Amino acid sequence: MAEAVSVKKSSPLLIALAWIIVVVPTLWGLNYTVQNALKIFAKPAIPAAVPAVPNK
Amino acid sequence: MALAFLDRDHSIAPAGYSRWLVPPAALAIHLAIGQVYSFSVFKNPLLALHGADGSAWNLKEIGYIFSIAIAFLGISAALFGAWLERAGPRRAMFYAAVCFSAGFIISSFGASTHQLALIYLGYGVVGGVGLGLGYISPVSTLIKWFPDRPGLATGLAIMGFGGGAMIGGPLANQLMAHFKAAGEPSIPYTFITMGVIYFLFMMFGVFMIRVPAPGWKPEGWTAPVKQSALISTHNVDVQHAWKTPQFFLLWIVLFTNVTAGIGILEQASPMIQDLFKGTITATAAVGFVGLLSIFNMAGRFVWASTSDLLGRKVTYFIFFTLGAVLYFFLPLTRADHLNSVALFVIVAAVLISMYGGGFATIPAYLKDLFGGYNVSAIHGRLLTAWSTAGIVGPLIVNGILDHYVANKLPKQDAYPLILHIMSGLLVVGFIANLLVRPVSAKHWMKETNLQPVGAAH
Repeated sequence: MAEAVSVKKSSPLLIALAWIIVVVPTLWGLNYTVQNALKIFAKPAIPAAVPAVPNK
Repeated sequence: MALAFLDRDHSIAPAGYSRWLVPPAALAIHLAIGQVYSFSVFKNPLLALHGADGSAWNLKEIGYIFSIAIAFLGISAALFGAWLERAGPRRAMFYAAVCFSAGFIISSFGASTHQLALIYLGYGVVGGVGLGLGYISPVSTLIKWFPDRPGLATGLAIMGFGGGAMIGGPLANQLMAHFKAAGEPSIPYTFITMGVIYFLFMMFGVFMIRVPAPGWKPEGWTAPVKQSALISTHNVDVQHAWKTPQFFLLWIVLFTNVTAGIGILEQASPMIQDLFKGTITATAAVGFVGLLSIFNMAGRFVWASTSDLLGRKVTYFIFFTLGAVLYFFLPLTRADHLNSVALFVIVAAVLISMYGGGFATIPAYLKDLFGGYNVSAIHGRLLTAWSTAGIVGPLIVNGILDHYVANKLPKQDAYPLILHIMSGLLVVGFIANLLVRPVSAKHWMKETNLQPVGAAH
């Protein structure tokens, strides 16, 4: 009769941790880039009107 | 031997090892080396450095640092690909980590003593070798772990290379600001810190990477009996593969796709400002560049994964037909025609997604045609197309722009010509892709030759 071989599978916790290590810096960089990218939709600032100089 | 754990034999996965632990290992390498795309953040700080005699570097001299690094990426990938197949991914990734980090450390001495040659040697040559080794090292391993989804697997890793700039740019800026505020020499200290951080991050990949045991396959998966004629069940070794017409055609495919992408990436910021004068500020242009980097990264994953369903040839068919049309259309969106910033941004984003997709889909295309046996080595040689495009692309773009500026012609009129040339290049790529046929049986390896090289598993 064939003997059953118990195979130790990788822990889901280890898999999650491995992904967290690479995903966290990626999200940090993505957030920074998205914040920058949003500037393309910002309207150019209108130059402030030059205050009239009162005649003396 | 102390470094014996790096051997291929020591990195064979035990039974039950999850294949989902392998992509994070590959991503750790690619997210690190992808920093090269953000090297431009060092340009202005390097320009501001002065030697003891008051001398300073110019923009052209500093520009060579990036060019040397990319050139050595291609050279080292081509030279060391076959060695990598024998030595295994863990050893190659370790050397990539050592070289890439050493590049930063050597460059820090170059910056502190104001010797540009040391930065060329450090970041350019030594770091460039690290880039090449790191870029190709996880590719064949991923393909072996994911025979059912090779596009998804390589897309995940190569997406990391696109995303590396998103981490490297802000990291460098924040470190330089920190050291400057602390009154320390900002560039040398930033280089050293980044060298150490990237080494540790890449070592995570070195320790996590595993090659599947001989004969391993995903649970419940059986290789399809009948599949596309372009998906070979045979292997071709690198010495034969690179002499086949298929290799030459894929070289053209990658070269044209990358050159066209550089047509936008090289001048993204000035291009949008010139085409929409008065509407797009310098700050908004920075946002445009950021948006392109997101689409560059996302395209790598999305297109490569989709290629598992569509097939590689069809995927490149889309890149070259849609790409050629969109490159032709892009200049028509400018202020004196359709005047649509939104349309310009959308079209450019789709084009850049296909630029990234072209990079990420090519390893799976190679695997389909030449088998998985030597795919890293073959991929390494194919990357010379990238190095060539890195020279030819900027030559076309800057050459035309310089001509317009020198002849006092409106600069914005140069862009339609540049983009239409890129459109034409994609037509050449379209023809090359169309001509790809299955590899002739005379190039196939005998199955008995697979084991001794040690790369069949």
